[in-house]
Amino acid sequence: MRALTLALMLIATPALADFPETVQRHILPGYQALAESTAALAAQAEKTCDVAALQPAYHAAYDAWMSVQHLRFGPVETDGRGLSILYWPDPKAMGAKAQKGLLAGDPTKLTPAAFAEQSVAARGLLSLERLLYPAEPLTADPCPLIRATATDLAATSAKVFEEWQGGFAETLITAGEVGNKVYLTRPEARQVLFTQVVTGLEFLDDQRLGRPLGDFDAPHPERAEARASGRSARNVLLSLQALRQMVETLTPDAPNTVAAFDHAIHLAETLDDPAFAGIADPGKRLKVEILQQAVDHVRELVMSELAPELDVGIGFNAADGD
Amino acid sequence: MTRFLTAALVSTALSAPAFAVEPAEVVAHYADLAAAKYGDSLITAQALQGAVAALIAAPSDETLTAARDAWKAARAPYQQTEAFRFGNAVVDDWEGRVNSWPLDEGLIDYVAVGSAVNEENAQAGLNVIATPKFTLSGTEVDATTITPELISGTLHEADGIEANVASGYHAIEFLLWGQDLNGTGPGAGARPYTDFAAGDACTGGNCDRRAAYLTAATDLLVSDLTYISDAWAKDGAARALVTADPNAGLLAMLTGMGSLSYGELGGERMKLGLMLNDPEEEQDCFSDNTYNSHYYDGVGIRDVYLGRYTRVDGSEMTGPSLSDLVASKDAAVDSQLKAELDASVDALLAVKTAAEGGLAYDQMLEAGNKEGEALIMGAVDALVTQTASIERAVGALGLSKIDFEGSESLDNPNAVFQ
Repeated sequence: MRALTLALMLIATPALADFPETVQRHILPGYQALAESTAALAAQAEKTCDVAALQPAYHAAYDAWMSVQHLRFGPVETDGRGLSILYWPDPKAMGAKAQKGLLAGDPTKLTPAAFAEQSVAARGLLSLERLLYPAEPLTADPCPLIRATATDLAATSAKVFEEWQGGFAETLITAGEVGNKVYLTRPEARQVLFTQVVTGLEFLDDQRLGRPLGDFDAPHPERAEARASGRSARNVLLSLQALRQMVETLTPDAPNTVAAFDHAIHLAETLDDPAFAGIADPGKRLKVEILQQAVDHVRELVMSELAPELDVGIGFNAADGD
Repeated sequence: MTRFLTAALVSTALSAPAFAVEPAEVVAHYADLAAAKYGDSLITAQALQGAVAALIAAPSDETLTAARDAWKAARAPYQQTEAFRFGNAVVDDWEGRVNSWPLDEGLIDYVAVGSAVNEENAQAGLNVIATPKFTLSGTEVDATTITPELISGTLHEADGIEANVASGYHAIEFLLWGQDLNGTGPGAGARPYTDFAAGDACTGGNCDRRAAYLTAATDLLVSDLTYISDAWAKDGAARALVTADPNAGLLAMLTGMGSLSYGELGGERMKLGLMLNDPEEEQDCFSDNTYNSHYYDGVGIRDVYLGRYTRVDGSEMTGPSLSDLVASKDAAVDSQLKAELDASVDALLAVKTAAEGGLAYDQMLEAGNKEGEALIMGAVDALVTQTASIERAVGALGLSKIDFEGSESLDNPNAVFQ
């Protein structure tokens, strides 16, 4: 609660966009929406396992995740929670494999405590997608597994929001104050947030767009994220919008970065290729490649304009390594 | 713009009078440590080459065990080099040849039915050892003779897919141990020595081709390690990258420490495996040697900071260190980082001790294994913790990861020679 009060006070000071505002206007509302939409999904799954009745709630939850998925620090990193909400990419199809065992197996593994111990690949949004948009008829009644997955998703999302609200927001906002052992200076707080923007764009570029694009001679539309539920392109759009909003909360003085975001967002809005199926078609592929170039341009401006503006560098992050 | 900032920062750092040692001395000593570590990796790989030759000449339990022991001995110095990789383009571009992981081992040899599955890799079950002629990316390949060139030029990363690992430590490991089919239960791969036997004694089929593959892969490892050892010698390209501009070199040192601590070892190799509860998500999955590989990674990170290395012959190297430099700028950051590096090595040692006591790394990954989870997460948390202090050391020395993103010496290895 103190974190919230403190943040509100900071917002009240004139013309400030800085990291406390990112917490207040971007992170906390984002996690709150995720907690609420996944709770609604779990409640709906308790009422019915009819896929048509569940699909809208699934999409709402996925939308909410897209507004915070680029945040890979703090409570979402505990116990692999972020990975348990979305495990993608999954080139070895570990999710499908682990889920098969749960679908036909021991029902005691579906209790909330036992389910939370399962592989992250068998949990989360894409596990739900496999049950709500099955490629082949399912071999057993999916209802218990749908409920377990939705309940787990809601519980995980609730924990992330609670821990942000109940302490971590304050830890970040009070960066540099006496007694703060996590963020010793205010620039450390700015740097960790800046790093999320950089790695979020990198993931968008290399994975969400790069994986399905493959090479011109070897396109891989089948590798697009969430293609069964037709939201591959939507995820790109939502991710761009979320990152743009985050940048605006960090500083009012990155106009070129924001303009580059707007251009990429416009391209994503007008793409008209929901599951990137057109990537294998040279004419339609071009539009996705142009979008990727626009994202590259955003990345350049984030380095050349946003970084000096915030006076930070890239911090070490989960995407380091190979 | 970027270059201007770089120049400004570098001049600030150089004009500061308070360094106990000079950056140029620190990076020169760092390059000497690298030369020694890659040199030791080469020496131990040559010993492995001898042991493989003995195995092929006279396959037996004894010669197979000796080859496996030689492989494990070769891993110890190599893993201590891993902190030299990130931030140095010469090393990073080369590294995939020797230490790629994870791999679709079905590319190389027989595997258990149903295990060669990767929907993104059409070659996951190619089995070159059983298949002298095949088509790859639309081209006919004649693999009748298995040579180092075939492995490095044609098979490695075939179809542009990283999981097609045909060369390096893990390809050799697979040939010496075979698949570990024990899941999260006890036991490593159990390839019989007769997989290399001649005539009717041969098991697994194509023993002559398997022997040829193992020999070629080991020869290739030795030549790859020769290349990188040369790159760290006087006038070598990897050395030049860190010594030409000492501040760029310091940043490469810290980048190597931080990237390995957090994203690579703490994240991809340790935490992710635990979260997936998958026994194949351990780096040395055939030999169950993962605990050693992780431990020596941690030792290597600490040694970069302290400017020291214990060679395989037992001799000690010490010299001007990053620690000296950071301490002269910010003693609190230095002492905290040193304590945290000790803590991560201790936590990795706890994993090693437990594994040597019978709790194998893949058993630790089993869902619900609380003891294993606590051991692995203890190490992950320690690695994450020290990363924040490595970040602070970057700041204490007045360096920035962005200013050097545009630095030609790091992005373009050839630039420093122009």
